[in-house]
Amino acid sequence: MKKFFILFLLFLLVLVCATPSYARGIKFNYRLKWLFNTSVAGDIYADAKGFFRDVGLDVTVKEGSPEKNAINELELGYAAFGVASADQVIRALDKGAKIFVIAQLFQVNPMQWIYRTDQPEIKTLQDLKGRNIGITFGGNDETIMNTLFAKAGITKKDVTITGVRFDFTPFFMRKVDVWPVYRNSQGVILKDKLAREGEGVYFFNPADFGVNFVANSVVTSEAMMKNNPDLVEKFLNALLKGWEDAMDPAKEAETLEAIKKLDKGTNDAIRKNQLSVTRSLIKPSVSIKIGTIDIAAWKQTEEMMLKEKQIKKSVNIETRLIQIK
Amino acid sequence: MLFRRIYQFLIVYMVAIAFLWMIKMGLSLSDYVIPGIFLVAETAGQVAEEYVFDVINTLSIAVLGQALSIVLAFTVGISGRKSSWIGSFIKVTAYNIQAYPIVALAPIIFILLGDGFIPRLLIASMICYFPLLLSILGIMATPVEDIEHFYIVTGRMRWQLEVKIRAFENLSKLTTVISGSATLAMAGTIVGEFIAANAGIGYSIRIALYQSDIAKILVALFMIGIIISIYQGILETMGEQIKNKWSISKEGVVL
Repeated sequence: MKKFFILFLLFLLVLVCATPSYARGIKFNYRLKWLFNTSVAGDIYADAKGFFRDVGLDVTVKEGSPEKNAINELELGYAAFGVASADQVIRALDKGAKIFVIAQLFQVNPMQWIYRTDQPEIKTLQDLKGRNIGITFGGNDETIMNTLFAKAGITKKDVTITGVRFDFTPFFMRKVDVWPVYRNSQGVILKDKLAREGEGVYFFNPADFGVNFVANSVVTSEAMMKNNPDLVEKFLNALLKGWEDAMDPAKEAETLEAIKKLDKGTNDAIRKNQLSVTRSLIKPSVSIKIGTIDIAAWKQTEEMMLKEKQIKKSVNIETRLIQIK
Repeated sequence: MLFRRIYQFLIVYMVAIAFLWMIKMGLSLSDYVIPGIFLVAETAGQVAEEYVFDVINTLSIAVLGQALSIVLAFTVGISGRKSSWIGSFIKVTAYNIQAYPIVALAPIIFILLGDGFIPRLLIASMICYFPLLLSILGIMATPVEDIEHFYIVTGRMRWQLEVKIRAFENLSKLTTVISGSATLAMAGTIVGEFIAANAGIGYSIRIALYQSDIAKILVALFMIGIIISIYQGILETMGEQIKNKWSISKEGVVL
């Protein structure tokens, strides 16, 4: 028994020692939220063009997936920086995580809804009534749609809600009228597919109706902010330079080339359209600097999550947003 | 048997949770990465009732899926027990079907059949069918020469008798395999629900994962473990009773 206990302690010791630490050097990981595609054009561009290397950083940009959570990796020391959605950040803060948001990548949330043009256009929220609306139960879109319903005084009796998954068959078969999509990735693909069938589409953007639920942002740990502020600044400047260049129409060909190397499954025309839409979400106007943190939108996101009982108490999100100049 | 199963599960679960909490303390992790004891207890209070019904929903599909796969495995196992061309063809076909990963097949099944009862049943039976088939094929293809010889030389051997002899002589093996496959049927149903269904504990786990709510997942795992332990315990007890009855019949005391 004693031997077993000693072995167990040794195992724990090895586990703790094996945990990589960013504090040991300037080689670290940057964990993205999703797979390599046009949505992460700036991250890919910064890496491909050596912007991190130029400032003396050895950054491994790692693609994300539904199972990989950047905030977990920050806490476990597997990554020094990461991309997380606002709801992930707020949930993590609610549960005691010590993290900071240092840049907001999407100024407009790509989570929107697609519907066909042979249906009446949604000009006011009341136009949602009577439609069959797709929602990913437990996902961001559920929170956003519930907020829209509350805002418009729409009850669940006024609409038909259908739980959606990865395959678009119910939308193609017209079983669901309004389907949630990421505007700059799935939205482009669906629009293209339907256009080939002679069908046009509209996109329903909640931000047009005053609901601004923040999407992906760059996060880091409190320890990193406190102990390595210079490194944070260096990393962020290199990253945002990558995003500025990738969103510059004059550098479109170079950007598409860099993305193509990592995202071989998408065809050139689709990738080009995706980049164009991504540009409108990351930099909706020339006056907006990429990475700008929209504090009002963050506060609204927190309020929405509180109302939907996704967090127990206010996390005072504004205290966790640091706009690095 | 039943109580042993339950407390064995409780020991395993507690050890695993204790290990997680030691890591949490050792690395000073927040409740977001590994939830603490109070958060898990609070979450259990909020979702336990809902999850019990979800697990029962999943278990009902798993039981039916397991029954279907037992019937299927016995049918294929009995037909494929001979070393004839058709026997070998059945075996090869069964093995090849198993080679396709269920995670790749599941979305196709859900597209074709929707997200109701039938696809969940189909996926559950597909996952637990193969190990059952392997065991049944092994049992049915191995002659019990001491007994079968008598019936062969007296010309009374029929295929039904051959199957009965082989099943009876390997009853404890069959009981173990069938009760073990309950776990696979449950896992299969959960995988199906996780990928595409709109009900069951797999679906609830998917929602919890969307919200990075590990406390809910720990509660769900507890519910799954406890209910599957009860189900396995019942299967094993039933197996024991059948075995005892058959043993008595064999000795000629009760016929």
